[in-house]
Order: sequence, then C-alpha cells, then structure tokens
Amino acid sequence: MLRRVIYRHVNFCRISFCKIIVAASVSLLCVSSFADTSYEQLLADEQNGDDWLSYSGGYRSERFSPLAQISPANVADMKVMWAYQMQPTGISGAGLQESTPLVANGIMYLTESPSSVTALDARTGNLLWHWRPEISNEVLNIGFPRINRGVALLDESVYVATLDARLFALDAGTGAVRWETKVAENSVGFSLTLAPLALDGKIVVGVSGAEAGVRGYIDAYDSATGERLWRTFTVPEPGEPGSETWQGDAWQTGGGSTWLTGSFDAELNTLYWTTGNPAPDWNGDVRPGDNLFTCSVLALDPDTGEMRWYFQYTPHDTHDWDANQIPVLIDAEFEGEQRKMLALANRNAFYYLIDRESGEFLLGEPYSYQTWAEGIDDTGRPIVLPNSEPTREGNLVWPSLQGATNWFSPSYNPRTQQFFVPNRRMGAIFYKADAEYTPGAPFLGGGEQALDGDNATGAIVALDAMTGLQQWEFELLTPPWSGVMATAGGLVFASSNEGIFFALDARTGNPVWNFNSGAHIRTNPMGFAVDDKQRVAIIGGQTLFVFGVE
Amino acid sequence: MAKVISLSIVLASLVLSFSAYAQTNDTSLANISQSDLEAGQGRYRVLCARCHGMLGEGGEGPSLKRARLIHAPNDEALFSVISNGIPGTGMPANWALGPSDLVQIAGYVKSLGQLEAEEIPGDAIRGRLVYETKGNCSACHIVSGIGRGVGPELTEVGMRRNIAYLRESVTNPSADQPRVSDRRKGTLNSFLTVRAVSEYGVYEGMRINEDEFSVQMRDIAGDIYSFEKSKLISYEKNFGHSLMPGYGVTLSEVEIDDLVSYLMNLKGEN
Ligand code: HEC
Ligand code: HEC
Repeated sequence: MLRRVIYRHVNFCRISFCKIIVAASVSLLCVSSFADTSYEQLLADEQNGDDWLSYSGGYRSERFSPLAQISPANVADMKVMWAYQMQPTGISGAGLQESTPLVANGIMYLTESPSSVTALDARTGNLLWHWRPEISNEVLNIGFPRINRGVALLDESVYVATLDARLFALDAGTGAVRWETKVAENSVGFSLTLAPLALDGKIVVGVSGAEAGVRGYIDAYDSATGERLWRTFTVPEPGEPGSETWQGDAWQTGGGSTWLTGSFDAELNTLYWTTGNPAPDWNGDVRPGDNLFTCSVLALDPDTGEMRWYFQYTPHDTHDWDANQIPVLIDAEFEGEQRKMLALANRNAFYYLIDRESGEFLLGEPYSYQTWAEGIDDTGRPIVLPNSEPTREGNLVWPSLQGATNWFSPSYNPRTQQFFVPNRRMGAIFYKADAEYTPGAPFLGGGEQALDGDNATGAIVALDAMTGLQQWEFELLTPPWSGVMATAGGLVFASSNEGIFFALDARTGNPVWNFNSGAHIRTNPMGFAVDDKQRVAIIGGQTLFVFGVE
Repeated sequence: MAKVISLSIVLASLVLSFSAYAQTNDTSLANISQSDLEAGQGRYRVLCARCHGMLGEGGEGPSLKRARLIHAPNDEALFSVISNGIPGTGMPANWALGPSDLVQIAGYVKSLGQLEAEEIPGDAIRGRLVYETKGNCSACHIVSGIGRGVGPELTEVGMRRNIAYLRESVTNPSADQPRVSDRRKGTLNSFLTVRAVSEYGVYEGMRINEDEFSVQMRDIAGDIYSFEKSKLISYEKNFGHSLMPGYGVTLSEVEIDDLVSYLMNLKGEN
C-alpha cells in the first residue's frame, strides 16, 4: 500500500476533497491509502479529466482535456494558483525544461533537466519529494540539449529515463529507487530524453543518438523487475526485411532514433512508435537507398516487439526530418468509411492520415510552406522536387532542419475533429559536408544556416483532421518550440518563444487570454483538476505555473 | 531590402553538447597542416565571411586580422567562441561543428591574425572633436558614460565593427542591418525601426522587445513606449529604415575619416 497526499486540515471533509478520495474507494475515505495508477486507469485516462496519467494524456495521444469549466466565457479570469521553481543541479548545460507534468491521485510528477524527478502536492505545489540521479558532467548528448520530457506511472512506481541512457523505477510515494537498468551505452552517443510509455506490466522506451551515428531501437522492460522483454531495431541488419534499402556497412551507423513517446491501441493490441533520421543527417551519398525504417512510424506487437507494418514518411531523408512527432490515434469516418486511423503532422511539412490496422496510406496534405516536394503520391511516397538536397555550396529549402513542427505535441479534439499543430515557418540553407564516423562524436555530414529570428515566423494552426485543410491560424512572432492542448471547454492552450502562454478560441483561433511567463516556453501544456476545479499547467523557464479560475 | 540570414548552424534541438568538444582542447593549432588551413578557409567562407569579411577584414563583425582577439586570447577560448558564440552579441553559436571542423576553422582564424591589420584612415583626436561638436553624436549615443542613450552605446564599437561598416553607419545609417543572436528567438535585427499607429497618434521608434501581444520601443526623444497590439490601428516593422540622420552631406570626407578613426579606437577603455 502506498501513501499518497491526504489533506489533513480543517477543510478536510469538504466535499471537494472527499471526491478525490472517493475516486479511489469510498471505504478508504479519509484514510491514508489510495489505489495506485493501474493499467485500467491508464486505459481510461482519456475520459478522466481529473488526472493526467501519461505523457500525452492517454494512449491515443490526443493531449485533449475533457474538462469544460474554463471556456472562452470565463478564461479572462484565469490566474496563477501556484508556482513551483525548479532546483538548480550544477550540471553544466542543464536548465532547459521540456517536461510534461503528470497528475495522479492529487500528486503531480514532473522531471527537471537533465533527469531529476519531482513530486508535488497538485493542490498547493508543495514539494513531496525530489529525486536526482548522479549524472556526470561529461555525459554525451549529441544533437540536442540536456533535457527530459517526463515520467511514466504504473502501479506503485514512477519511471524515468535518464540522459545517460538508464531507466529507473522509483517508489511513487517517496522517490526511493526500486530498480535501475542500463538501456544503452552513453559513451557512443546513446541518450534518453523521452517520457517512457507504461503498458500492462511493461515500460517502453526509445533512444536518441542518430546525430552520433547510433543504430536505433525500441525496448520494453518488465515494470516490476526491470528485466528487458524485447528489443526491436529500427535499422535492419543484412538479410532482415528492409535491409535491401541499405548498402554496405551503412546500416551499422544508420541512425533511426526513437526519441519520442509512442501511442497504443489496446483493442488492436498494437504499439505505434515513430523513428528519426538516418545518419549521417545531411550527407545521403554514404547511405544510398530508402534507409528503412528511418523517418517512419512502426506498428509493433507489444508482447514481442515484432513489427506488424511500417509506414515511411520521408524515404532517404537528407534534411534531418525525423518522424519523431506524436502519432495521434483517431477513430472516425474517412471518405464515407469508419476507420481506425493514425494522424501525424510531420516535420517534413505534411499532415498524414494512415489506416492503423493495415498501415495503408490515406492522406498527405501540406500544412506549412515547403519547397521540397510536389506532393505525396497515392502510395504515400513524396514526389520530391529537384534541387532540394543539401549541397556543398548550400541550398535554400523550406522547412528548416527543425521542421515545420517538431517533438512538441499537437492536440486533437475528437468532438470537433480538429487537429491543432504548432507550426514553424522557417527555411534554411542546407549544407553537405564529409562525414566520418567516430564513436561518441557528431556524425552529421553538413549543417544549416537558418533563416530565423525576424526572417521566420510561426503559427498555431487548426486543421480539419479528416482533410488536413486549415481552418484558422494564429500567427507567432518566431518559430515555436512548445506544444498545444485543446479542452472540452472550447479552448486551445499554446505558448511562444517570447514566453507568452495563451488561450485561443478553438472555433476561431482568436486569442482570449494570455500570460507572460517571463522566459522561454519549451514544454507542452497539460490539464487536471483538484477540489473539482479545472487546472492548466505549463513550465516557462525554470518555473512551473498552475492556472485556474476561482 | 537585403534579406538577412542567420549563420547559426543548429541541430535537431538547437544545442549540442559542450563535452563533445572536450577532446579538441588537446589539439594544438601550432602545427596545423596546410590542407587543414585550406579546409578551414572553405568552412570560414560558408559560415563566417558574411560578418567577418571574405579576407577577415570584418564588417558586421570585427576584423579578425588582429594578432590578439579580445574574446579569444588562447586556442581554447577561440574554440569556445566559435562553437558557443558570444551570448547577447551578434556572434552566433555553431553547435553542430565537429571537432575537426573546429580545429580547421580556428586554425584559419588564427592565421588571419598574422596578416597585417587594415590601416585606419583619418585622425582619431580630430574625430573626437567632430563627434562632440559638429556631429553632436552624444545627443543620441553614450560613450564611456557620457551622452544620451537613444541609439546604441558606442563605448566598445571599435571592437564590434570594422572601418567600412562604421563609415556606412555614419553616412547611410539605413544600410547597416546588424543582427543579434538570441538563444530563444533566433537571430534578430539589432536596430529595427517600428511604427505604431494608435488612436492617440503615430509613434516611431527602435524596437526594444516584442511578443505576440505587445511591443516596446524607444523613440528619438529617448522615451520608452509599450503598446498592446490588439489596441493599435496599425503596426509595422520598417526594415532598413534608420532613425539616425545620415551625415554624408553635413560632414566632409575628411571629417568622416576622422570620425571613423575615432570610432575604431573606441575599445572600452576610458
Ligand atoms: C551574424 C554575424 C556573425 C557571424 C556569422 C560570425 N560572427 Fe564572429 N562575431 C560577430 C560579432 C558581431 C562579433 C563581436 C561580438 C562582440 O564582442 O560584441 C563577433 C566576434 C567574433 C570573435 C571574437 C573577436 C574578438 O576580438 O574577441 C571571433 C573569434 C569570431 N567572431 C569568429 C567567428 C567565426 C570563426 C565565425 C564563423 C564560424 C563567425 N565569427 C561568424 C558576428 C558574426
Ligand atoms: C537622432 C539620434 C542619433 C544621432 C544624432 C546619431 N545617431 Fe547614431 N544611431 C542612432 C540610432 C537610432 C542608431 C541605431 C539604428 C541604426 O544603426 O541605423 C544609431 C546607430 C549608430 C551606429 C551603429 C552602431 C552599431 O553598433 O552598429 C554608429 C556607429 C553611430 N550610430 C554613430 C553615430 C555618430 C558618429 C553620430 C554623430 C555623427 C551619430 N551616430 C548620431 C541615432 C543617432
């Protein structure tokens, strides 16, 4: 049995408190124990607005809050309820925060860069515990900053993946380590920054490291013991399916990182996980072929890791257009037929719908300015325009290597079938250079000069999820690096580089509320409820802000 | 208007590890090979020349044909300046450069330091007089604590810019479009003239800051304004339009040479 936050004070028996407890068990009312985060709760996460139990707010990865107390009518009164200041670590280069907090049973769990975990009373923000692993200053993070995107919850544990490529299970009540396992070798450039995904008895993680020429994989671990259950490589070895898309030894340093949390369909018993760029990034001459299964989404059997199907968005990528964006699972009518689909707004500037039972391509529409493809053909393959490759002299292409969007989350409102995407409108001059593989060093083969700052902009765009066509846009000053969350109250919460956290009316895109956090925002918003009151959270700089309406 | 392009080489998530370059520190630049120098020149032309000049003579960035660089007194500091940039200035980071690129570029930059520095025209002492009297520059600029801060402080301008750039700043202020690297927003125009029309009137000034909902500016009188964009009738950015008057007509060739000489000597010392 686990100890959880029980509010022992004068207000204790107010209905609103008891509701949180009742949610666990009536018989345990006012006793200090709660049910833990069960797999059944994770399955119902989407419908439960009070909690936010996994990175994307449910296995479908909608990042949609079903709470409707806050709406365009009263959002103007939204205020900071509490704030939490992150703890300095003394580790150089750490300090950019990209965590999505989770909330379960009145406790909020978030990570602080590079790999610490913090548990807070979700009602007041008071610290319950803080856990910090030993991370060496010499840890390798090649191609990305020293960040972490959050934890996973299952049963009595909190799971965190660390920058030096370990996976920890911590006691959810105290932060004590239950087990630890090494996922990968950091000294050759593997690293973990993603929030793990908890399934029934399993914890699934992916790796970063394509900029160091690693060969990517997805791992599942036994949630109770930390024992590895399976490993699926994203780049096949000679003889395996897909190996015909590689030549020579290129597969050994072929990239295909898996650095963002996937989605899960319990009914189809299928795990969906996206993969990143082939390595080296910008010099494709040394790795001719389509380079499967990079820049793809993989449908995996969660029990064995076996691949059911794959869909490759960008064959033979030479722009670092990872497909590490959030795959959103949508059940709806598409062109007159009810389908189970997977929607993804790709870094390559196209919005895709595929059938998630078969992997069949359904739709590919540009949602942002791009100059590299004429369109997507009937099979889902891009029709690539000439002169869009990196060159020695430099070649101007839209979008830039950071893409038309990136890791930060989109949001899907299943009631209105709107898909909201933070959009980067920035081109770059892409360069090709020689690439020589050295273990633990950048393996890039070029670079870019971005047309950034005053020469670039961004937007929050609303798409009709079934057609990919734009309904509205809200323009941003510079290309954003933060996610969005739609709510049943008809709002879309989003942030800007300028540090503004704001709410848009989901029907029109009109701004209806904004707050200056005072620092760069590079996280995703999330929502929960305490005392029956809706809350919205965002991290700006080193501060977590929790908002509500009195 | 010239399109401004930032030179920051960035990666997937904008930042590369510092530690990846730890190994470079052992590499001596003293016995760098000729082929590495040539490779370094190639990279320099792509990444650096637009601000520091094709031949290192400077421009928007300082001349690198100087034996002693202020921010890079030794090899290690030079590696750091090139890969991390100089935060808060126009010198951008180049996170994605690998150790060998870094050695090659640094080696080439160092070789520029052995070239003869450009000769400064005019007379700095007479230039100071032009600055203080006829030019009345201190009506808008601060040097070593003296003057009004309408335009940028010039106390260290000789460290930042080169001769040709400063001549242009004085004679045709709208032509200089320097940039500043901002870690979160990317490369911004350092001196951007913005124009806001509200029900109370028309306001023109240099942008100090801006977000999606508001803009802050300083006008020619030195007053600071903050506007809520939703309350404005119109708001525009006037790229390439300076608030500073041009001195090409009011000052003679000699006076301009002298003034440029004075500005080039402003290196932060009193
Ligand atoms: C966008 C313009 C820009 C680009 C591109 C640029 N620099 Fe700079 N650089 C500057 C500016 C401006 C400064 C002066 C910063 C200050 O001190 O205010 C500077 C300063 C420096 C310094 C320090 C000089 C000193 O005296 O301390 C070095 C060294 C340098 N740059 C090297 C490079 C190299 C090498 C590259 C290419 C890899 C490069 N720069 C690219 C604008 C640029
Ligand atoms: C009415 C106000 C005003 C006066 C008078 C003025 N300036 Fe300026 N100056 C500015 C403003 C505003 C800028 C920034 C915009 C720009 O560069 O066009 C600027 C920019 C500059 C710069 C560029 C600085 C850099 O870092 O790039 C230099 C150099 C300069 N001024 C020199 C002078 C000199 C020399 C004089 C006198 C002959 C002078 N200014 C008179 C307003 C003024």
